[in-house]
Amino acid sequence: MSEKIYACLLRLYPDRFRKAFGEAALQLFRDRSRHERGLFSTLRLWFDLLADLAVSVPLEYRCVQQTLIGANRQRFEGQPSFRVLEGESPRLEALAFGVVLSLVAAFTLSLPVGHAEPRGFHSNAMSALAALEVPQQPSERPQVGKLDAAERQRIVRAVIANLKQYYIDPDVAQKIADSLLANEKAGKFDALTDGAAFADRLTTQIRDVSQDRHMIVEYSKAPLPDRPPGPPPGALERYRKAMEQENCTFEKVQVLEHNIGYLKLNSFPDPSVCGPTATAAMASVNHADAIIFDLRDNRGGYPDMVALIAAYLFDHPEYWYNPRENTTEQSWTRSPVPGSLLADKPVFVLTSARTFSGAEHFSYDLKMLKRATLVGETTRGAAHAGRFHRIDDHFGMGITEVRAINPFSKTDWEGTGVEPDVKVKAVDALITAEKLAERKFRKK
Amino acid sequence: MPKRKLDPLPWAAFQILLSLADEDLHGYAIMRQVADQTDGRLRLGPGTLYSSIRSLLEEKLIEEVDRRADAKLGEERRRYYKLTPAGRKLARSEAERLADLLRVARAKKILRGDYV
Repeated sequence: MSEKIYACLLRLYPDRFRKAFGEAALQLFRDRSRHERGLFSTLRLWFDLLADLAVSVPLEYRCVQQTLIGANRQRFEGQPSFRVLEGESPRLEALAFGVVLSLVAAFTLSLPVGHAEPRGFHSNAMSALAALEVPQQPSERPQVGKLDAAERQRIVRAVIANLKQYYIDPDVAQKIADSLLANEKAGKFDALTDGAAFADRLTTQIRDVSQDRHMIVEYSKAPLPDRPPGPPPGALERYRKAMEQENCTFEKVQVLEHNIGYLKLNSFPDPSVCGPTATAAMASVNHADAIIFDLRDNRGGYPDMVALIAAYLFDHPEYWYNPRENTTEQSWTRSPVPGSLLADKPVFVLTSARTFSGAEHFSYDLKMLKRATLVGETTRGAAHAGRFHRIDDHFGMGITEVRAINPFSKTDWEGTGVEPDVKVKAVDALITAEKLAERKFRKK
Repeated sequence: MPKRKLDPLPWAAFQILLSLADEDLHGYAIMRQVADQTDGRLRLGPGTLYSSIRSLLEEKLIEEVDRRADAKLGEERRRYYKLTPAGRKLARSEAERLADLLRVARAKKILRGDYV
């Protein structure tokens, strides 16, 4: 749509200019549109274009030809000089056409302003999958349901029972239990008659004792389901179809200037459905001199796909930390991938505040392994290492049940997000990464 | 029939010549290089860019380079431009002119010596 508008605006230029440079101008517009995304960049692009039109169209009509010849330059002793000759004036109809088109362009631009931020990949199938993930914090915490002492006591007992049964460290579970009971005995919960406030208080105390930020007690006004909802009938078929339509959320697979491979991936889809697409995408950038993974709109997905793609970037099996799974023999990347030429190529990962879950996993591990430069914004911060346990209709708790060996740090990115190496606004991340890649090439 | 003369070299044209000093570039790459070398202050629009390119071509200060697109790499066909010896000479003389100006500015204490 934008390109069509600009193509129309190009008609304002004299024929001679359009014939000589119309296609090149359009190409430049395409290049800028491709690299300058997001609200601010789009507005800046159109501001530049309109300002450029306002200046250059009248000049083009005035400038029929510039006939400075070598003799002229010699006359000015090497001083640069350009002559502009008066030619045909802009046609009235061209000017009128320009006014109308500018109005149309301004109106059209105003539409995407409200919707300019690209949204993450959404489909029914993915929503269904999201429902399979560890339940998230309920968005509302209504102030209903007064708790009495007996209710509070019942909840505390249930919390302790769950901790003792499921928590990875029995000693810590016991310490938490002692602490909760001591507080209860001292009457420190007596004032807490609100479910959400009580849940918060329990969470704080559990985290203080355990120093484990994955632990949480939740209160929900709406009754919690007896068990996590399973996939609805036909979900896999719908997912398969959605992935076909969306090219498995590989929105772009390109080779940019300077032979930089560019993959814009908006989720990490199920490898059993999208494995061949992922393999083909990686093959098509196999000869690149650097690779950019654009995860700015990536909402996560399957850890297996995260590991599958990461495997291309190493020439030996590399420990691939996953906070959601215990460390096993499967925790190493299946590197080297036969035929992959990417193991020693510079890698850049573009992030935004929307980059989520599995995409953060990919970013975090590559950053910690010093295998990629992260460019953009701090990610959203969802590691979700806990599993949710229902206590009753309104209370539940997240308990850490896996102990993955994190060789990099005591904490992961839960709640804090993954910090980029190069902090720039998400909209500027691609152009920044390209510059960084070019700089690397120059140093070689 | 000259109506007006742009002298010295227009800023945009000078920046384009500078952008081509190191390597041959196509239009978009020129635009980006110019934005880089001016810290983003000058973002050449297509009209200004190609108008300047045409002037420079006509003056034989730059020339088009035959460079085929590599379909395998997904490249679109583009026109590349190269600085000619005359273009390099002109860019140098313009830079020297600016350097002279700088010397005057320093002598007049408008600029301190360590600024540039």
